[in-house]
Amino acid sequence: MQTDDKLPNESSIPPLIIAIISNEVAGFDKERDDSKSDQIKSASCIRPISISSSSETHSVSISMPSSPAEAAARSHHGNRVFFKDEDGNGRETAKPKDKRFDNFKTWSGKLERQLSNLRGKHVAEPPEEEEDRQDHQTHTPPDFDRLPADRYFAALEGPELDTLRASEEIILPKDEKWPFLLRFPISSFGICLGLSSQAIMWKSLASSDSTKFLNIGHGINLVLWFVSIALVSVVAITYTFKIIFYFEAVRREYYHPIRVNFFFAPFIALLFLALGVPPSVSPALPPPLWYVLMAPFLCLELKIYGQWMSGGQRRLSKVANPSNHLAVVGNFVGALLGASMGLKEGPIFFFAVGLAHYIVLFVTLYQRLPTNETLPRELHPVFFLFVAAPNAAALAWATIHRSFDYGSRIAFFISLFLYFSLAVRVNFFRGFKFSLAWWAYTFPMTAAAITTIRYASVAPSIVTKCLVVALSTVAILTVGALLVTTIIHAFVLKDLFPNDIAIAIRERRPKKSRKWYYRNSGSPDASILRYLKYTSSDSSDIFDDKKLPSLGDQDEPDHCAKVVEP
Amino acid sequence: MSILTRFHAGYFRISLSLGLQALLWKVLLQLHSKDAAFQGSGTKPKALYATIVAVLWWFSVVVQVVLSLLYALKCFLCFNTIKAEFMHHVGVNYLFAPWISWLFILESAPFVTPNHICFVVFWWVFAVPVVVLDVKIYGQWFTKGKRFLTAVANPTSQLSVVGNLVGARAAAKMRWQEVALFLFSLGMVHYLVLFVTLYQRVAGGHVLPAMLRPVFFLFFAAPGVASLAWFSISGSFDTASKMLFFLSLFMFASLICRPFMFKKAMERYNVAWWAYSYPITMLALASTRYEEQVKGGVPRAIRLALSILSVLVLITLLIFTAANPKLLLPDHHHDHDNLRRLPITHCPKPTPTPTPTATATALQKDTNVEGT
Repeated sequence: MQTDDKLPNESSIPPLIIAIISNEVAGFDKERDDSKSDQIKSASCIRPISISSSSETHSVSISMPSSPAEAAARSHHGNRVFFKDEDGNGRETAKPKDKRFDNFKTWSGKLERQLSNLRGKHVAEPPEEEEDRQDHQTHTPPDFDRLPADRYFAALEGPELDTLRASEEIILPKDEKWPFLLRFPISSFGICLGLSSQAIMWKSLASSDSTKFLNIGHGINLVLWFVSIALVSVVAITYTFKIIFYFEAVRREYYHPIRVNFFFAPFIALLFLALGVPPSVSPALPPPLWYVLMAPFLCLELKIYGQWMSGGQRRLSKVANPSNHLAVVGNFVGALLGASMGLKEGPIFFFAVGLAHYIVLFVTLYQRLPTNETLPRELHPVFFLFVAAPNAAALAWATIHRSFDYGSRIAFFISLFLYFSLAVRVNFFRGFKFSLAWWAYTFPMTAAAITTIRYASVAPSIVTKCLVVALSTVAILTVGALLVTTIIHAFVLKDLFPNDIAIAIRERRPKKSRKWYYRNSGSPDASILRYLKYTSSDSSDIFDDKKLPSLGDQDEPDHCAKVVEP
Repeated sequence: MSILTRFHAGYFRISLSLGLQALLWKVLLQLHSKDAAFQGSGTKPKALYATIVAVLWWFSVVVQVVLSLLYALKCFLCFNTIKAEFMHHVGVNYLFAPWISWLFILESAPFVTPNHICFVVFWWVFAVPVVVLDVKIYGQWFTKGKRFLTAVANPTSQLSVVGNLVGARAAAKMRWQEVALFLFSLGMVHYLVLFVTLYQRVAGGHVLPAMLRPVFFLFFAAPGVASLAWFSISGSFDTASKMLFFLSLFMFASLICRPFMFKKAMERYNVAWWAYSYPITMLALASTRYEEQVKGGVPRAIRLALSILSVLVLITLLIFTAANPKLLLPDHHHDHDNLRRLPITHCPKPTPTPTPTATATALQKDTNVEGT
């Protein structure tokens, strides 16, 4: 369904539309003033242009808002698109002025206007520009208030809550490529997690006693570390641009029950980088660096864990999903880093907090409560995150106590058990759409390999050495396969960053009457007429038959009346 | 006799806070006399501390005795209301409160040491009811049809855990390791279950009315007192105690970062406000032990901040209580403390015993009405 209005050519506007527009009745068209309606009537400066192709095919389509209130609201945030032809009003346009994404933009396109003014374009703006600006300043579009978590559950489905349900619609065009920044999700930081954990693994392989027989040098660690730094910088800068230019999209990602956990990923990636520093670059890191890295992490987790405890609709029993492990594992990784730097109290602090919340999360996920809506029914790579936290906890405990003692071993064996119970079910991990978030699910395997290396140095035997080789190989192969898939999607299929539907859901369900309308479309006039006549109950005066000239058939009143209530 | 009908076990929060505050000052006094470098000054603060301890202790004893007498009278004259309190999902946990306050008062007594025979006798007198209540309530959690855990769990349930841990701590002070360990493990295992349940906030459990939001402070009281109990049992503030202390600190930080959660409860003075005081004092006590173990600037700053905060909160609460004597025992129409939504009966008159189910459903209806 087209969500944008394309105003038809003047000659083909049904008389109905003209009449309605000119009447300007409250409730349907509350805020339109005369200048706007005049400008629409005299559509001399407006010619329809099809968006995607440059050929001059004119298309007319009329999409009606579902209710007068929404129409009024729509007119506020200027969702209408005006297309200007080159021979229109002297304004040269290389591309059509696309306002559809304005609501996601931080400054609602004002920056663009300022930039175009600076560049010396024609400053005489048509009146609708100024009105739009006013509208932006005075009204918040209704779709852009804080979306409740329920709305995400109702509108989306799938293990990563990124597939739109059939009955839902989105507020951005579905069949077009959105701006790149809008398509860049926070789960892109998963690549950073995957690669930087690989750097740590190669560092352990090169420097641990138990793997001396493999004769691995520090070169791979060095290369991987520099690549990871580059990648983290690129992703971070891109996402910062997204925050600057499309803050609304970032907000919506924050309110997404699954994506919110990925907001921990940048900090975990930085911690991994600090852990994987090659010895040739810097033998020891300064302790103040740890405080700098953990401070924002602490603030974020104060917010998120507090939500679990007290937030009504974001309470844990409702939103618990395996991605929540990302929120918890950072505590253990931070404790590991701090202990490896020689700190004592701070690591214990984060370990305690992480352990307490991990127990809660673990029990909740194992319970698979019926009220939990986000747990995927089928197995999905996200389940590998189960393996991450016990490994990180084992490593952290071992580093805090300077020995791989019973506590660490218990945690390590739990993680091994979980790993194997997922690995033997690998057949069920099929048939899923690739997404960038899959990179985040590789770091548990790498973490398992690292912990096994550490364990093998404490309990060396042929079994542990075989385990080390096996787990490391699996981790490397997985990352390699993922790299190949990513490259294929990026360069061959060109859909590495598909339209991020999860952030564009509507605030309200589309009303059923609209669906009926499209299913039963006879002649457009008749359908419009029936819709207008019976759809709304509040502003009854505009649907007075006498006011509307040349109405079509008025048959089947009962059929229409049935679908008034959504 | 309307005072008796309006009185309930939640009023023991007051004596609990006072007794705990006395204990805090007693510990500070002990540390000060043990380690001259602890505070860094001479004998003047020691005399000051001793006076404060004595004043606080006698005040808390007086308050506790008054409250206990009132409650005992209520037992004899209006036993129905006690039963109704027992049936209520919040009220039942406050039945632990008198015993906890007695235990703290016992510990903080300036002239009694744990080896004294009085201490032993009184410990038995106060600890046995705790265990009896434990058996009854914890058994209900996993066996009883209607009052199972997910239905009744609410933040005040942590008060039962606190009761066990305080008993364990007092027993450890008497060098009764096995008894102490018994009570400790009892408290901790139920704390684990309760912690998970409360964090999950499974829908369908009782919703706490807005007026009782201060009891959320119990979230960090329980690990705080657990850390103290383990300290007493193991003899030093080791890693386990530190971890519990840090958890408590984190939850404290998490709660004070959310002041709007308590906004509704702060509109009108209510005895539930006393629920702010004793958790902070417990945390301050734990931070004192932490500083003793890990000397340094940061632990000292934490301890000072928490102690000052607990004193301020206590003084503020005392002022509020003195300024609003009527609100202390409000009549039925003005009170929003859910504990009080019990069927009001006039004590001397014989009344039909409310059946437990009827009371529970009536209370549940009230809860749903008041629940936020």
